[in-house]
Amino acid sequence: MDKYLNQGIKDVIQAFPALESILAEYDIGCGPCNVGTCLLKDIVEIHRLPPEKEQALMARIESTICPGRENQVQSPAPTTAAPAAPKERIRTYSPPMKMLVDEHLLIKRWLARIPDVVNALSAGPEKGRQLVGAGVDMIRSYADKFHHGKEEDILFKYFDDTSEIFTVIYEDHRQARQHVQAILTGLETSDHPAIGEYLTAYGALLTEHIKKEDEILFPWLDEQLTTSQVGELYTKFKAADSQSGVDPEKYQAFVDGLESQFIDMGVAK
Amino acid sequence: MMNFQSDTPAAESEPAGAIASQLRQWPIQLHLISSEAPYYQGADVVLAADCVAYAVGDFHRDHLKDKSLAIACPKLDSQQQVYQQKIKAWLEDAKINTLTVMIMQVPCCMGLINLAQQAAAESSRKVPIKSLVVGIKGEILQEEWL
Repeated sequence: MDKYLNQGIKDVIQAFPALESILAEYDIGCGPCNVGTCLLKDIVEIHRLPPEKEQALMARIESTICPGRENQVQSPAPTTAAPAAPKERIRTYSPPMKMLVDEHLLIKRWLARIPDVVNALSAGPEKGRQLVGAGVDMIRSYADKFHHGKEEDILFKYFDDTSEIFTVIYEDHRQARQHVQAILTGLETSDHPAIGEYLTAYGALLTEHIKKEDEILFPWLDEQLTTSQVGELYTKFKAADSQSGVDPEKYQAFVDGLESQFIDMGVAK
Repeated sequence: MMNFQSDTPAAESEPAGAIASQLRQWPIQLHLISSEAPYYQGADVVLAADCVAYAVGDFHRDHLKDKSLAIACPKLDSQQQVYQQKIKAWLEDAKINTLTVMIMQVPCCMGLINLAQQAAAESSRKVPIKSLVVGIKGEILQEEWL
């Protein structure tokens, strides 16, 4: 069992496919993850399930991996010094983390319109290319420079960002940049099917990535930050925003425009 | 009125020896402090309702260490508009790093949170503000970023 607790989740699920649905029952959505290198023991810890649920989950994992050993299950010992959550603690993001989550909201609204933009590219290449160009500008300036910049250059530096969970996040960012590069190449060569393919892949990747951050990573990081660090982060994020040269209102207007164009036309529901 | 004398933990469980104070300033009452005092500059500030430090057994170690402090009673203190101006001056002039407002669970204590939120709403500079609600036996009932 210890061998599997210290293995990447993708490999463990490959060896024991039933684990994917068991984890999903506990809202641990590792199945669709593109990277899957998080260790099984870290995944159980990072989700911070109530003790009785964690015990039940570990029993089911044990019975899947080592049938007949259900009663010998021990939850993995916590590997961080994060304190237990107080009773009836209300789960709210700290203000710097909320800044990132709020930025996700605008990015998700753009991601939701990607299928419409891909359709527009098929229907009328010239107009479609303009929309893709504007969308790529939003991805590079707002989603990457403005948003991922704060994560990679500031937030993650407060932690051991060589650990597996950060490897997964960095890999998502790297793949997203690769997709964007492929979209730009498609625009240069007028390869519209490739543009549609990579834009769609970008949308799927970022949707899953944002879910990971909002539901798992950010609450977990928040638990480990001291009050003083939260204040520092907030100040640094504000400074980074004002020095970025990125105007968030421009991208708010872009997304508003997409929604009024496609939703009002009844293209999307 | 409540008496929970019998619930008090046994003395044997207490650490031996004198417990060092974590207080690093004087005065502490919100009417008496100057918001621009050096110990508030860039600080993590705790604004505690008067009763909090009596209720929380480990107040010094868990909540006061490395922080600057002010205390007030939103139920009994007068001229609370002065409090609001002082909190605003913490944000704008002393450029504090964070503000943690600790109150008791009793309804009248919410006034201290409201004062902090009104001051923050009027302030041109924002900082993270956290509220901690303390039970009458000293337990932290709720911890939340506002």
